[in-house]
Amino acid sequence: MSLFWQCIVDSLLLGGLYSLMSIGLSLGFGVTRIINFAHGEMIMFGAYGAYFASVLLGVDPLLSLPLVSIVVAVTAAVLFKALIEKVLNAPHINQILLLFGLSLALQNVAAILWTGDARSVATPYSLTAYEFDLLLVPHGRIIAFIVAAILIVALFCWLRFSELGRATRAVAENGQAATLMGINVSRMYMLSFGINAALGAATGAISSFLLTITPFMGFHMLVKAFAIVVLGGLGSVAGTIIGAFALAFAETWVSYYVPEGNGWAEGVAFIVLLFVLIIRPKGILGQAVAVH
Amino acid sequence: MSSLIKRLGISVVVAGALASTHATAQDTIRIGAPFELSGRFVAYGAQGKRGVEMAVDVYGGKIGNKKIEVLFRDVQSNNQAAVTAFTELTQQEKVDFVIGPIASGIVAASVPAWRQSKPLWIVPGSSSTQLEDAMKGEPLFFHTYPWAYQYHEGTAKALADAMGKGKKVAIVYSDGAYGREQLPWAKEFYTKNGFTVVATELVREGAADLNPVLQKIRLTRPDVLVGIVQTTDAIQLAKQIHVAKLNIPVLVGTAYPQLQEWAQATGEAADGWIGATTYLPGMKRAADPKLAKLFPSLNDWEADFKKRYNREPEFLDVTNYTSAMMLLVAIERAGTTDKEKVAKELATLNIQTMLGTSNFVPTPGGAVHQAFNDMVVFQRDGDKFVVLFPADAADGKLKLKK
Repeated sequence: MSLFWQCIVDSLLLGGLYSLMSIGLSLGFGVTRIINFAHGEMIMFGAYGAYFASVLLGVDPLLSLPLVSIVVAVTAAVLFKALIEKVLNAPHINQILLLFGLSLALQNVAAILWTGDARSVATPYSLTAYEFDLLLVPHGRIIAFIVAAILIVALFCWLRFSELGRATRAVAENGQAATLMGINVSRMYMLSFGINAALGAATGAISSFLLTITPFMGFHMLVKAFAIVVLGGLGSVAGTIIGAFALAFAETWVSYYVPEGNGWAEGVAFIVLLFVLIIRPKGILGQAVAVH
Repeated sequence: MSSLIKRLGISVVVAGALASTHATAQDTIRIGAPFELSGRFVAYGAQGKRGVEMAVDVYGGKIGNKKIEVLFRDVQSNNQAAVTAFTELTQQEKVDFVIGPIASGIVAASVPAWRQSKPLWIVPGSSSTQLEDAMKGEPLFFHTYPWAYQYHEGTAKALADAMGKGKKVAIVYSDGAYGREQLPWAKEFYTKNGFTVVATELVREGAADLNPVLQKIRLTRPDVLVGIVQTTDAIQLAKQIHVAKLNIPVLVGTAYPQLQEWAQATGEAADGWIGATTYLPGMKRAADPKLAKLFPSLNDWEADFKKRYNREPEFLDVTNYTSAMMLLVAIERAGTTDKEKVAKELATLNIQTMLGTSNFVPTPGGAVHQAFNDMVVFQRDGDKFVVLFPADAADGKLKLKK
């Protein structure tokens, strides 16, 4: 019984992290119709930003998170303007190759700049936990969950209530109609790509005290985020959150209740993804993926 | 006519270039160095490259009047890239001496490429006993890094001596070759030393949450937890064990508890961990009496390293420096670049190095040349290392974690 409640808590906390990790990717795809294969590197740069802010300046990752996110977002927007915008109407294979290439280049830039040493921020709260009898709630993970929840709610509010957010949704629904309505589509593409990067960097900042930071940490997270976005439905922000929690629950339950389950967890999670896609190819809340 | 002159001109230039290449090849001693200079094992490769470069520099860059040329190649932490790099070095560059790579899987992938021309090969990494098995009886293969079983052999004995018989051990191992290969050895040596293995839990490399594994282990109430994972996962493992307050008195790692990068990343969670190694920062090891410039005392070597690189050396820095330096000494002593003659010199070297005496001995698994077999079992106590085993080198007693 004690493992049951621990399993619920672990699933929820992991779901929060997965939601933040994948929601930017989903938004970016929904608007630009490009899968950002360099999303993992946005996470990686966010993690390094928070790490260096902590080690060199003594700034807690939670405090450096806004600045790190802004810096990564601005850099991503510049990259979008310089490189990605040029392939927006190109065949998908060109887009994929460009973004994979960018991803590899960024990984190696990080390895050259900061070496391949594994790092992590050891904040006081990343090494402590609330204990309720046998139930354990790690402080670091609950803080990460709260930050993720705040950022996701802020994103929803921005999309729903702000003019730019509504314009973003309009572009996601129909780019041509949005252009006719006077929306600067190119600008919205850049903005959504920047927000995608900012959310990735925020994930990196909170991962900096939970996980291990290396120049190559992003690829693993990209694969997971991509699976979540497909599971939830490409382009659906709400579906992404459902997908993130579904994957987190599947992984955690397999880890707890299958012998040597942690090794199987990812495989089982991807089997779940496969079944969902067979039963509902659009994903849980996805729109049909049509080229527009 | 002008076409004929042009052709003649080109021929002269090509012939000149070939002749100069030939002359260069004769005037240099070329060593292939395939390392993981990018990809997930880049930290290993960077240390390997630093160690080799420093050795060549300390040696003076020349053996006799021949320049030492190290051909570094990036194996990208990728098996296929390792095969390509190895093949290029041996088939095109025709090197007779190779040092590297380091990661077990990458070294294993390089074995078929090595077999094509069999250069003298020093491997300053890979603890995989599959490699030991594959290189059984090969006189040109030299291994300067501990095998998987060496980690657990000494540690299990040291803990049995300190804790007594009848204790329970739980093992966490990663799903890669590193964890899977070491698991049987860990089980064998802990069982042999009177421990009962109460849990073996698999963890996925790069998993975002290890708490499920730790909570299952908590239920078995072990006295010892052994973590057989790579450094990147070991950081998260140590932090999550600390958070989970498992109340396990003894935590044991493999190579990582000695690493500064691991200790810095885990903070106070690193305290009390036990590891096994052939090198500990600050150990007392004297200079070689005859080759003190090349093999100074460990403290002097560490000071030189810090001056050059503005950082503390890691285990692989020392291992690769020592391995490369031993090769250079062997080439000089052989007085030739004939790989068989150099191998003979290398096999009989008896130098006091920073990792211990350089004697190469056969292994129980059948490899012909294995150096540095004296493992030290240590425990982290704050910033210090307390040696627990062997008894004659011990400078403290096992402290149980509270």
